[in-house]
Parts: sequence; C-alpha cells; structure tokens
Amino acid sequence: MTDSAAHPHDPADLERQKAQEARLAIPWQAPKGWRYWSAVNNTEVGQWYTTVAFVFFLFAGVLALLIRTQLAVPENDFLSAGTYNQIFTLHGSVMMFLFGVPIFEAFSILILPQLLGARDLPFPRLSAYGFWCFVIGGVFVCGSIFFGVAPEGGWFMYPPLTTAYQEGIGADIWLLGLSFIEIASIAAAVELIVGVLKTRPPGMRINLIPLYAWYILVVAGMILFAFPPLIAGDLLFELERAFDWPFFDHTRGGDPLLWQHLFWIFGHPEVYIIFLPAVALVAMIVPTAAQRPIVGYGWIVLAAVGTGFISFGLWVHHMFTTGMPGISLAFFSAASEAVAIPTGVQIFCFLATALAGRFTKSTPMLFVSGALAIFVLGGLTGVMVAVAPFDFQAHDTYFIVAHLHYVLIGGMLFPVTAGIYYFFPLRNGKQLSDKLGKIGFWLMFIGFNVAFLPMHFTGLLGMPRRVYTYPADMGFDVLNMVSTVGAFVFAAGVLVVLFDVVRPKGKQADSPRNPWRAGTLEWLAQMPPRNWGVRSIPIIKSRYPLWDQPNLMADVDAGRYYLADAEEGKRETLITSTIDSRPIQCLRVPGPTWITLWAAVFTGGAFILPTYKLYTAALVSAAIAGVVILAWLWTGTAQIPEKPEKDVGLGLKLPLYASGPKSVGWWAMFITMIGDMSAFASLVFGYFFFWTVHEDFPPDPLPGPGLTWPLLAAGLAIGSWALTLLARHLNRRDAAVGFYLSLGLAPVLTVGAAAALFAGPHLSGLDPTTHVYPATVWVLVLWTLIHFGIALIMQLYCIARRAAGRMTAVHDIDMQNVGLFWHFMLITVLVTVAVIAGFPRVA
Amino acid sequence: MNERNDERHSDDQHKPAARWASLWLITVSPTIWAVHFLLCYVTAAIWCARVVGRNGMLGDARLLIAAYTVVALVGIVLTAWRGYRQHSYGEGSAPHNEDSSEDRYRFLGYATLLLSGLSAVATIFVALSAVFIRSCA
Amino acid sequence: MKPTVLAPRSGLLLATAILLAGCDGPQSALAPAGDGAERIANLFWWMLGGSAVIWTLVLGLAAYVTRFSRGKHSLVASRWLILGGGVVFPTVVLSALLIYGLMLIPALRTPEDVGMRVEVSGEQWWWRVHYPSPDGGGPIELANEVRLPLGERVAFDLLSPDVIHSFWVPSLAGKVDMIPGRTTELIVQPTQLGTFRGACAEYCGTAHALMNFQVVVMEPAAFERWLAHQAEPAQPPRSEIAQRGLESFLANGCGACHAIRGTEADGRLGPDLTHVGSRLGLGADVLPNTTEAFVRWIGHTDRIKPDVRMPAYGMLPDDELAALATYLSELE
Repeated sequence: MTDSAAHPHDPADLERQKAQEARLAIPWQAPKGWRYWSAVNNTEVGQWYTTVAFVFFLFAGVLALLIRTQLAVPENDFLSAGTYNQIFTLHGSVMMFLFGVPIFEAFSILILPQLLGARDLPFPRLSAYGFWCFVIGGVFVCGSIFFGVAPEGGWFMYPPLTTAYQEGIGADIWLLGLSFIEIASIAAAVELIVGVLKTRPPGMRINLIPLYAWYILVVAGMILFAFPPLIAGDLLFELERAFDWPFFDHTRGGDPLLWQHLFWIFGHPEVYIIFLPAVALVAMIVPTAAQRPIVGYGWIVLAAVGTGFISFGLWVHHMFTTGMPGISLAFFSAASEAVAIPTGVQIFCFLATALAGRFTKSTPMLFVSGALAIFVLGGLTGVMVAVAPFDFQAHDTYFIVAHLHYVLIGGMLFPVTAGIYYFFPLRNGKQLSDKLGKIGFWLMFIGFNVAFLPMHFTGLLGMPRRVYTYPADMGFDVLNMVSTVGAFVFAAGVLVVLFDVVRPKGKQADSPRNPWRAGTLEWLAQMPPRNWGVRSIPIIKSRYPLWDQPNLMADVDAGRYYLADAEEGKRETLITSTIDSRPIQCLRVPGPTWITLWAAVFTGGAFILPTYKLYTAALVSAAIAGVVILAWLWTGTAQIPEKPEKDVGLGLKLPLYASGPKSVGWWAMFITMIGDMSAFASLVFGYFFFWTVHEDFPPDPLPGPGLTWPLLAAGLAIGSWALTLLARHLNRRDAAVGFYLSLGLAPVLTVGAAAALFAGPHLSGLDPTTHVYPATVWVLVLWTLIHFGIALIMQLYCIARRAAGRMTAVHDIDMQNVGLFWHFMLITVLVTVAVIAGFPRVA
Repeated sequence: MNERNDERHSDDQHKPAARWASLWLITVSPTIWAVHFLLCYVTAAIWCARVVGRNGMLGDARLLIAAYTVVALVGIVLTAWRGYRQHSYGEGSAPHNEDSSEDRYRFLGYATLLLSGLSAVATIFVALSAVFIRSCA
Repeated sequence: MKPTVLAPRSGLLLATAILLAGCDGPQSALAPAGDGAERIANLFWWMLGGSAVIWTLVLGLAAYVTRFSRGKHSLVASRWLILGGGVVFPTVVLSALLIYGLMLIPALRTPEDVGMRVEVSGEQWWWRVHYPSPDGGGPIELANEVRLPLGERVAFDLLSPDVIHSFWVPSLAGKVDMIPGRTTELIVQPTQLGTFRGACAEYCGTAHALMNFQVVVMEPAAFERWLAHQAEPAQPPRSEIAQRGLESFLANGCGACHAIRGTEADGRLGPDLTHVGSRLGLGADVLPNTTEAFVRWIGHTDRIKPDVRMPAYGMLPDDELAALATYLSELE
C-alpha cells in the first residue's frame, strides 16, 4: 500500500503489527463468564439474535406440524377448535413477527459491519436493547400457548371478533407483546440505515456498495413507514379493549375496516420486508457462484427501491372482498401487478449473471436454485391473486395458504438456508457439511412441494382457511393427507439442516479464508474470525474489492489501512460521508453494559403488565425504564473525548466528536422521527377515514374541542420551539446566561401547551367512550401529550447536561438532536390542532 | 442524504459530478407514483363515499384522475430526462462501477432513469383502472 | 366416449376429463354453475396455462445458465436477457392480464338486471336469510339455506350483527365479506340446476369451520312454489309424538330464541325453524337433516359446535328429545 509495503517482511514492521494486534484485541474482546451477556458487540448480539429468531422459527414450525396433524383426516379430534385457533394464530404471528422480520435484522446486525469493513454498527447498545426487547416480548407471546391463553384471533386480529367477542387476555398478549417487538424492529431499522449510510469504508461510494447494503437500506426504510401504522393501530385497538374507546365498534360510529387498513398498510410491505433481504442474500451468493460481478447492478437497485415504494400500494389487495368500490380494487390490483415487474427484473439479473459467468455448483447455490423454483411459482400465483376477480374466489382459501408459503418459503426460508450454508464460516471458522446440506435440501424441497402444491387445488375446491376441521365428502381428504405427509418430510429436512448447524465441529479443520472465492469485504475475515472484524479498515475502489484490488487481504492484515491500532484502548470505527464515503469522524463505540438489559426489562414491564390490567405497576415500570434509559444516555452517549482529533493512520487526522448532521446520533434522531411521523400520520388517517365513511363525522353541532384552547396550545408550542432553537444557537455561541434563560423558559411553555391542548377536549366534555368522534380527537391529543412529555424531558436534559459540563459550545450533540426533535414536535402539534380544531370548521 | 463536497479530496471541484451528490433524486419518480396513487385512491374513495354513493358513476372523477396522470407522467419524464443527462455525463457507460465521483454521479442518474421507467409503467397501470371502470359499484 | 380408441387426441381428452372430474365437488370454484364463477374459472384456466409456460421457461433458462452455458455468452447477451425477460416480457404480459381483470370487475358487479334481492346476515355461526315476500308483504325469515331460480340475477345484501363473516358459494360466484355496520352486496346468476355448498370464508371465531349452508338452484316455477311454501306458517303436528315435541319445545323455552311461525314461539336470537324440516342440513350444515341428527344436535350442541350460543339439552329424557326431534324434522 504505502511505504511499508516496500518491506513486507521487515522484522521491525512485523513486531509493530503484533503489538498493534495485541492492543486492538483488548477493547474488542467479549466479556468473560456470566458477564458475557452484557456484551453489545455486533458479533455477539447478532449471533444471539439470529439464534433466538431460529428458536422461534422451530417453535412455530412445531405449531405448523400440529396444524397439519389436525387436518390430516376429516373431522379429526386431535385438537379442539379453541386450541387449533390459538395454534394457527400463534403460528402466523410468530413466523411473521418473531422470525420473518427479526431474522433479517439479526443477520444484518451480524454481517453488515463485516460487509462494510466496519468494526461495529454505530449504536451497539441500541442493538442490544432491541435484542433483549425481542427476547422478552417473544417469550411472553409464545409462552401464552402453554397456559392456554394464547391469542386466537388470527395473526391479523380483525375486530370486532378480537375486541368484543373473545374473552381472555389473548388479544392483549398479542397487541402488547408484539407492539413491544415492533419497537425493537424500528430500533434495528434505525441502526441499519445509519450503518449503511455512515459506516462504510473510505472510498466505497454509493455506486460501489454491496447489493446487500442496498437492500438493507431499502428494507429498513420500509420498516419506518410500515411498522408505525401497525403501532398506531395497536394503540387504537388497546384503547378500545382496555378503556372502551369505540374505534372499531360500529354501534358507536367506529368501523372495523379502519383496523384492516392500518394492519395491511403494515402487513403487505411486511411481506417485502421479509422477502427483499432474502433476495439480498441471493445477490451476494450468485456472483460468487458465477465468479463474476453481478450483471445489472443498477437494475437490482432499481428493483429494490422500486419494490420498496410500490409495496406500499398493495395493501387493499388483502381487502378485495370487503365490498369496496370497484375502482378502488382496480387501483390496488394495478399496483399489485406492477410490483411483479421489479421482482422479475431481479430474477433475470441473477440468471444473466449466471449466463455471463462460469457457474460453479455449491450447497448454497442448491438452495438458491430451489428457492427460484418455488418462488417463481409463488410469484405467479401472486400475480393471479392480484387480479381482483380471481381473488374473490381465492381469498381466504387454501389457495392463499399455498401462495403465501410458496412466496415466503421460496422467497425467504430457502435463501436464508442458502445464506446459512454460505456465511457459516464467518461464525466460527467452520464450514457446514455439503452432504448433510444436500440431504436437507432434497427433503425440504420435496417435502415442501408435496405439502403445499396440493393446497392450491384444495383451496379452489372450496376449502376455506382457518378451519379446524372439514367434512369427509367434500373432496378435501386425500389432498389434506398428502399435505400433512409433505409437511413432515419438510420438517425432517429442517432437522437435518439444524443438526448440521449444531453438531460439534471441534475436530473439523478450519475453513480456508474466503472459502467460496468471493469478492466482497466480509470474506476478509480471518478463520476463525476475530472480534474486531477487520484488522484495518481498507480503502475501497471496487464493488468486488477482493477480486479487483490486488494484495488487499495482505495489506488489511498487515494493518496498512485505517484504525489498525487502538492506542487509547477504545472501541473505534470510521464514520464516512453518505454518498462518496469520505472519512469524516472516528467514532468511539460503547462497550459491554448491563444497562440495555435493564432498560429492556422495564420497557417490557410497561408493555406486559397492562395485559393483566396492572396499570399502576406498568406505569411504575415505564417510569423506571425512562430513568434507566436516561442514565444510559447520560453515561454512554455524546461523551466529550479527551482530545479533539486523532490520527487514524495513513496520515489522516479525524475528529473524535461530531454534532449536527455530521453525527450519527443526529441521523438516528432524524430517522426515528420519520417513523414517529408515520405513526402519527396513521392516526390522522384514522380521523379522515371516519370522515369519508360517516356523514356525521365530525358531528354537527360540534361537541368540542373548541378553537381557543387548541390555538393557545399551538401558540405556546411555537414559543417553546423557538426558544429551544434559540437555546441551540446561544449554546453554540457559548452565551451561557442566554442559553439557560431561553431553555429555562421553554419547559414552562411546553407544560402550558400540553395543559392547553388537554383543556380543549376536557373542558368541552368530550367523553371518548361515547362515540368515535371524541375518541379520535382524544387519541390525537393523547399522542401529542406523550410527545410533549418527551420534549419536556429533553429540554430539561439539555439544561442538566450543560450544567454538568457534559455539553459545551462545541460538544453539543444533545442540543442539536433536541432541536431536531422539536421540529417534528412542532409538526405534530400544528397538525393535531389543525385537524381537531380547524378541520371541523372547514368540513 | 445530500452531501456537499466542500472538503478536501482529489476530485475536480468544478465538475457538476463532484459538486452535486444526493440520494434523493432516485426517489423522486417513485414518490411521484406514490402521490399519484394516493390521490387517485382518495379521490375515488371520497367520490364514491360522499359524492355519488355506492352505485354512482365515476364521471368527473375520471377526468380528475386523467389530469393527475398527465401531471405525474410529465414529472416522471422530466426526472427521467435529468437522470439520463446524468447517466450519459462525460465518457462512460453502465455499469458505472468506477471509483470516481463522475461514475457515482452517472450511476445515480442511471438508477434515477430506471426508476422513472418503472414509475411510469406503474402510473399508467393505475391510470388504466379509470379507463376500464366507470362506476363505483 | 369410445373407450376402445385411445388415439393421442382422445388420450388428451381423457386426461382433461379426469382433471375436470377432479375439479368437481359441492364447493368447488372449478366446477362453476353461476355466471360469476364461470368467468372467474375461465380467467383462472388462462392464468394457469400462462403461468405453467412462464414457470417452465424461467426454470428451463435457469437450468441452461447453470449447467450448459459455461462462459459461452457475452455480457451483452446477458444484458439483453435482463431487458427482454425481466422488463419487456413481464410488462406486456401483466398489461394484458391487468386489462382482462379490469374488464371483468364491472361485469361481475354491475347492479343492472337484478331480479330479486335476498338479505343474508352472518351470525356466529349461522346464516339468517330474508326473502322478499311473494305477495308483497314483509320479508320472510329463513335460515342456513338459500334457494335460487335458475338464470335470474339475484343480489344478496350482506350484513352482520356481530363479527366479520364472508359469504361464499364457490360454485356460483366469488365471496363478499359481511361487515358489522355496513351492507355489502354480491350479485349471483346461477346457470345450472343443482345443490351447492356455501361456507363462511372469513375467520369468525371458535366454530368458524362449522358455518356452512346449502344453496339449491331450481327451475323458476319450482322456486316460486318453494318460496310460497316457505312464506306459509308451520304446519301443525301430524302425530301424537310430534304434538308432544311441540309442547316440549314451548315448555323448555326454545321459543325464546327460535321462531316457528304459527305457534307461540317467536324468538329472534336463533334461526327461524318454521320450515326447518325442509332444509338439507342442520346446525348451519353441520349435520344431515334426520331425526337422529336432531336428537344429537339438541342434546349435544356444544360438542358438535364448540362455543355455540344454544345450550345443550342433554338433560331432557330420551323420549322427550325424540319427540322434539320428530316434531322439528316434520316441519317441512
């Protein structure tokens, strides 16, 4: 690389490298003993996350086998109707929420830094927090079946069945347990977006990033717009269940279809959130198998981004039979057809790559081929059901069961298994067995098709979904028996793969480095891999640096690039600019801590305790969670470094601290607030939804909330916002007095704004349980009040930070982020006021 | 996701490629599609729910949809043209995999162009609905 | 068919016949007996054929590129493959399919030429049916069975007082959901005589699987006679045992939930039983309509249909159950 490359075997140089390696190893080593579980490094958390997601997969798989056993013969009494309904509900919910989405996040946390030559993701503790939330919520939801109280409303939980016609706490477990996990998903999405945009190696411009990173960027972006509507829906749903606010109760002006809209605005993109990362794995495996760069990189980017957008225009195709106007069906039918185009483009890019390359067979490619055969069929049936008239027949039948399993197993499980075989050496340096892989593949492939191909036919013969039994003379018998046999063969294949993964490999030789002769950065890993990820962070000049940059591996190993050393004994990684990937900061990333686990435990308490109507305990738990999170932020974030900049190698000096748009924290805040805005938009959508479906919404004469109080709230909020921005400005100029004055007054205005906003509906006597109108007004107010609470804490936090000397004129991350939050806060207030006070006057 | 290239680096500061860098451009056409889609859906929903009723005729709503479509397609074509100009900037053709800000600039233009194509097809698909369906039933 | 001649052509015919025979079934969307179902089945066969061709082409191509093409092809050829196979071909095919589908929507849903309107309400877990009275009086309430005149366009107004259900007779048309607080509409035009089965397609709680009904398509004249008969009050008991059944029915409070027109029983919570003996099934087509089945149903409702709202009357003496069953099954 540079001058040292001239003397590769210089003993002094070797000595220097050894010393660097030793120093680098210290901060990055995982904690020992029981403290191991306080680790936050992406390699540990990613592995736990992946493992737990697979455990949930196996659990849901067992549920599937129970379903198939019950349906093997007509009029079976193996399971009771109630148990069966709990089992299919949990099967779907677990596969979607605890496996489908988390597995991609888990796997990306594990692999993304490797792909980008980074040491870790920018917020390791956030990943750890997300992981612990996931474990707690997942165990809570899954565990319910063992007490016979699992949710039994189907994974889609349609009200009013689930709000008024099912006793027990099943629906609450579903709502609260999964909302909790959705928050973890959003946390991971924030982490991954910032990871892709800011932790790339120098030189890896946006046109050179690995396709996997493109997909992750798209998918994490989709999560920001897809999950919040569901969280908003969950909020409405739980308010109805717990406090009788009638959002979905038609006798008080509610409408069950609002839930369906919110659920499927989440639910359809979710399918692509599950599917695209799996394609991303294929996009990494296929070029390696063809030993050439992907053909049509731009086309794949087109497909990933295009799918991401269009997938938000499909949700109503789950509602084709709800009796909507034909024209509405047509729009969604059209979008559902259009989304097939980018999907086809991806498949043809892979075929073209194989065509242009010299293709070599391997176990991962075997799974990819199987995925192709299955997924193409699932895609074709998907195009069929996108045609609304055909869906009138196919909807809610076994045809759909077949279709969705072809899409999800072909489009996700097979690629993921391919990914396991492909990436496994990165875990502990061992390869999986080709022989077991082949056996597992054929069992899975044959079993899958035997199980699910007949279901297309079963459905068209008239068998509805979610039936716990069926009569004998309908022509369903043989087909169902065949499906059951197939399901067990498929399960045997999964077990073979599982055995291959868990079998002891102590005696097996380590895999050679880069065993598949791949071209992307993750294969720089030593075998077995080291905790630090890459030895030094290279400069990238190609999409496939290991193929195109001669001597890259040796130079990286010799520490001839950036951050080869850890002189201060701290965990560090490079932050680069978003487009051209120029180094802009050396980021200190935090090490092991228990605080994330505690934060997750108490956050979990806040979600889980309301299930049992323990509202006081839940509030206490939420308060403790808040305190723990504040302590985490106080001690672990925005720390002022001991020196302004450091030499990261190759003569480059980088700042150790950055605030505003240059800091990763600012990006995280920005991205989180985008998600927050989409949840808020969903609530506003609810208001206008009721307006379109009801003549008397808003009612005439208007019972509230009046104009005065909301306008006062808006005025005070504008004041608080302006003072916050002023404080940010004065802090920058180091005008301490002005800073304390403005930021001291701002919280007063915040409290005033919150009180005024509350006073509007309260003083006009709006009772949310009487009708959907007051309930909708109150939910917007409630949402805004919660945000006022957070905004208030932020303002006080900044005062305290400056007073404690943890925030200065230069080191003002906290103030910058709070200022950014307040922009969104202001939008929330103004929109709320415009809707609840302004719109009724216009309508 | 914009970036101002105002710091030290080797690229020629005078080339537009080096000065202008944004990821947002590639999202313009799909966003136009999304807005067009939402407008069509909302217009039809309000029309059928509040204006003409369940079995009413779409009538003028179809004209509105046609107008949205024209505007959307013009926007997409303009974006595509911008993308094409970027894509064919200077020397160099796809796959735009060079390590230079010119090629990155060309790549983003290329992706913009492709996404505009997809967005146009998807917009036309949605508009076709209003060609073949005349009533709310 | 001449079984002795098995030329390739008739072999193909035979295969098709077997396939089509396999599509038969009382609830099959592939054995259409209604205008809507026929159009959709046609659409399906076209799509199935197209899909089979596309699947074979894509997988054939995959086999070719992974096994036989080793380095024979240039990058340019690969790029054309993406453009042709991934972009142009799908766009053309999808456009055609989209237009086909869009033209079908109005055809299936147009409210023109509707001759009769029938109101069906889905309730956990049975169907309340209202026919217009043939003599212009108030609607006739029936339950768990629908009869239709051949060839007439009939609109169903679909309702639900409790949870979401979905009204589906695969042989006649696609399904439409029944949503509390809304009235949805399904238009059906039977094209063949026969008996078909309908089911609730939307998961509606514990006994969702047991919410079915029979649909009988009749000659218009026979339909008129049937409807006129259904409009009449129940016939009085014809035997002593049936008379005891009626007494038991009233004494046990069955009339609080069930109506039998012409008697004191006028309950509205459960299915109308005025002509229950004329129906093809019991308990929303869970049991056959026989006296024995009535005994089982009344004695063990909860075991036959979990969580059903009707309590089991297993505590009644056997002879009383038998009398009840006899009375009800004679209510033709």
